[in-house]
Order: sequence, then structure tokens, then C-alpha cells
Amino acid sequence: MNEQEILEATAESIIAADEEKAVELARQALDMGLDPNRVIAQGFSEGMKQVGDLFERGQRSLPEVIIASEAMVAAVDILSEALPEDSQSKKVGVALLGTIEGDVHDIGKGIVATLLRVYGFQVHDLGRDVPLDDFVAKAKEVDADIVGSSALMTTTMLGQKALEQKLRDAGVRDGIRTMVGGAVVTQYWADKIGADAYAEDAQEAVTKALELVEG
Amino acid sequence: MKGGAITRHRTRMGDGRVVEMSTDEIRADIEAGTEDAADKGQIEPLTSDEQDYILELMTAPYRVVAVQPGNEVVLTDDGSAGALYGPQSSSGTGTPVSREQAIRVYERGFCLDTMEVGHPDYSFRPVKPIVPMEQQTIESVLQSTIIPIYYGAMPNLALYYDPDGPFGNPADFLPKAMIKEAREAQVQAAEVCRRDMIYISKKMAEVGADGINFDTTASAGDAEFLATLQTVEELANTTDLSIEVGMASEFVLGMHGELEYQGKRLAGMYPHDQVKMVEAAGAHVFGPAVNTSTRRSSAWNIARAVALTKACSQVATIPVHANVGMGVGGVPMSETPPIDMVTRASVAMVEIARLDGL
Repeated sequence: MNEQEILEATAESIIAADEEKAVELARQALDMGLDPNRVIAQGFSEGMKQVGDLFERGQRSLPEVIIASEAMVAAVDILSEALPEDSQSKKVGVALLGTIEGDVHDIGKGIVATLLRVYGFQVHDLGRDVPLDDFVAKAKEVDADIVGSSALMTTTMLGQKALEQKLRDAGVRDGIRTMVGGAVVTQYWADKIGADAYAEDAQEAVTKALELVEG
Repeated sequence: MKGGAITRHRTRMGDGRVVEMSTDEIRADIEAGTEDAADKGQIEPLTSDEQDYILELMTAPYRVVAVQPGNEVVLTDDGSAGALYGPQSSSGTGTPVSREQAIRVYERGFCLDTMEVGHPDYSFRPVKPIVPMEQQTIESVLQSTIIPIYYGAMPNLALYYDPDGPFGNPADFLPKAMIKEAREAQVQAAEVCRRDMIYISKKMAEVGADGINFDTTASAGDAEFLATLQTVEELANTTDLSIEVGMASEFVLGMHGELEYQGKRLAGMYPHDQVKMVEAAGAHVFGPAVNTSTRRSSAWNIARAVALTKACSQVATIPVHANVGMGVGGVPMSETPPIDMVTRASVAMVEIARLDGL
């Protein structure tokens, strides 16, 4: 196989969630002297993006996405060993998530947490019905890059606005990017309260989170 | 047009905001919406005539539009008259009436063709401890109304997971890649949910309820859909209840991924496949739900919702009553859905998707 064929095959191995094949291709890529970063970015990561797209279309279940991500992690581990220590894959960023106090809906937020981990974020999930002060305290503790809040009721979404102020009062807002989501939340609401991003679905949440940490 | 000015039409976005769009912009969004539906659902897009009809609706200068005489459809309700007595945050008006009074207002004042009694929490699980109270209300309502009276509730499998219920929460397991535990929790919770729904439904049948409405089915994914289908099957075989199944979303979320009903994988099903499962289980009415995108225009959303619903209606052998309300069926996602878009979505659904009811 030539380089392009290897890249396509690596993507396919992730789409097929075939860990054994993914690892085999990773080793083959190294044997061929290919740039590990390129294989990760243009091969395996492309496959993971397609898996995310398939999930949003309903063609992959959440467990299948997780299994695909494990195949990717196994392959990336092989490739990372060939990289200089200072350029080995580090976490993409630290994301803190939670459902706003008073709200107990968390299925969507749980899916976002899953996908963010799949894409390399270190995720701290505070769960549901989270007091705003807990968001702030944990954001400081883990040095969060992103604070994401979910609200599925028009009453609890007001907590997202209050959270923006709490983060400012604590003096940490400038170093954090905020994301909002939930069935009743809109881009208009995000803009109104000063949140950095709004995502309508889990895959978009990942895209926006990656954009936020990449600056 | 005068002096070359482009006509701009007052319309809305999916979050209810008023915007102005040109005819060409609206036409482009209608086409894009139907193409998105065709792509995601693997269905036929709307025909050019159908798209032209939606364009006509969206560019009509009237606040309210309506179906042509003779094309009126049945209007059913979910939410048990909550729009009257419920709080504004739940899209209600806080009108100081009881459930029974509200239902009679809906029958006599608003002319709904069916109504339902439902718990204010509107889920099956909280009903179980207070079944006699709900039975009493159903009995009382039946004696003062003519229209069919359903008992309505959401399967809401999430209430069976920690912290509200006894089973582990898949939303906690899955981010940690604990797939086996997540799947086991869903299967166990679904079995208990199924038993509860059957118990409650049969209790309502005992006091003469005309039907059962399973609302926002599959909100917690494929396990919830399976529990509901199994419940419907039991009720269809052992009671005379009319059974309606309304969905939560345009495709069944694969939280488990390997659950099947009658040999068909449930995860990922779109309305045209969902309805066949519901029919096979023995239900009598199906209510597809197509979610509104708040960042897209109403034209895009309506075209998309109609395309997906039409595909469902074309293969259905039972009546299809689409969910057309806050955030579904092309209607904007806002606490008080604006009547201009509610009527446009409704007309498009009836005239193009050939619905039996709303």
C-alpha cells in the first residue's frame, strides 16, 4: 500500500471499529516510515470524524462510537511511541461539564462528555442539578479550559447567565471558554449571555470545543 | 417589485426570532431542508410542486393560514390540557382551573377531537403510587365529556436510573466506556418500566379510559422504545384500549445499540421505520416527531419535517398524527410557539404529508 492507501485504510478501520486492524495499520505505517502525526491527523482522526457524523445521523449507537474510539486510542498509542516525547499526544484540553442547578436532564450532556473524551479532552462531569458555585470551584481546581453547562428548561437556563457572572466574579472568566447547550438553549441565548459557544448537538459540541481550545 | 427592490418576507428562525428573507432565500432553504431530510432519512425529497407549495405558504402575507375546506383533520392533544393550568415555564398560561375543568374547556371551547388525563409530572413512574387518584379523575372526566379520553404519560426511562431510580445511569457509565454496565442498566430498567406501564394502563382501562397515549417515546433511546413496543403488544392483546405512540425525536437514539424488536434493530430508526414497529406492536395511532433546528429558518425546518413525515405517512397503515408543537414538526422552539409558523407547519403537514391528524 502507498501512503494514501494507508491513510484511507486507517480511517476505515476506525469506522469499522476494528481495533486489531487499526493497530496493525499503525505498525505498518511506522514500518513504512510515515509521519505519525500525519497518520493520526489525516487517517485515524478522519475516521473518527466520520464516526461522529454517522452517530449524528443515527447510524451508529453511542456504544459503537466508544468502541471506535478505543480502536483509535490503541492505534494512536502505537504511533505516539514513535514521536519525540515533547510532541506526543497530550490531552486536547480540560472540559468541565454539568447540568445547571434545578435541572436533572443529563442524557445529552452525558453524550457530549463521552464524545469529548473520545476526541482527547480530559472531562470532568459534575453531573446534574449542579450548584453554580460548584462549577466555579471545580473550574479552578482542575484549571478548566472549557466550562460547559446544559439546561433543558426555560427556568434553569437562567442559571447559565448567572454562571457567566459567577465566573467573572471569581476572576476566572477570562481564562475559560464557556459553552451552553440544551433543548431550550439557542445561539441567540448564548450571544445574549456572553457565552463563547453554543452547540445544538453533541457532534457540534465537539467541533466547537476543539475550535475554542485551538484559539 | 418597484425600482428593482427585492421583496423581503417576514418569517422566522427555528428559535422563533422574526427575520426577513427574500423569496429566493426562502426557496433555497426549502430545498436545503428537504435535501437534508432525504440525506439523513434515506428517503425521497419533496417534489418541486410540494416545495413550491411550502414557498407559497412561507411567503403568504397573512399571519394565519389554514387548510383548504374538506381537508380538515383530527386534532388530538398531549400534555393533558397543561397549556391551560400549567406554568408559563412549561408553556402553560397558569389559568386557575382544575384538570377536569381544563379538559372540558378543550372539548367545548377549543374543539379538540380527543383529550387526555395526565399526571402533572407527565411520566409513568410517578403515576404508579397514585393510580387510584388518576383512575378517579378519569372516571369523573368520562362522565362529563363526549370526546374520547385517553390517559397520557411519557415512558421516560431516565426516571428509572440513578439518582431518581434504582438502576445505574448509562449517562454516567458511557463516558467511562463502561459499555457492558450501561447496557445492563438499560435492559433492567426497561423491564421494570414495561411492567409499570402495563400495570398503569390496565388500571386506566378498568375505569373505562378510551385509550393510552405513550408520549415522547424513546426520549432515553432504544431501550425505552423497546419497553414501549412490548407494552403496546401486551395491551393490544389483552385490552380494548386505543393505543397511541408519539415519539420524542426523528431518530431513535442508540444508547444501547443492539436492541431489536421483531428482528429489527431499533437504534437509528427514522419515522418511516418507527411506524412499522409501532404497527407491528399493535398500536392504533402513530405520532412522529421531527426536531426543529434553532439555527435554521422556519422554511428549512418545515420542509425537512414535512419530508420526513411524508415518508412515514406513505408507508403507514395506521393513522399518523404528527407532533406539531414547540420545537417539533417544523414549529419554532419557543415557550409560546408563534401562530404564524404553527399554522404554516400544520397546513404543510396536512396538505403534503397527508396526515390523518395533528
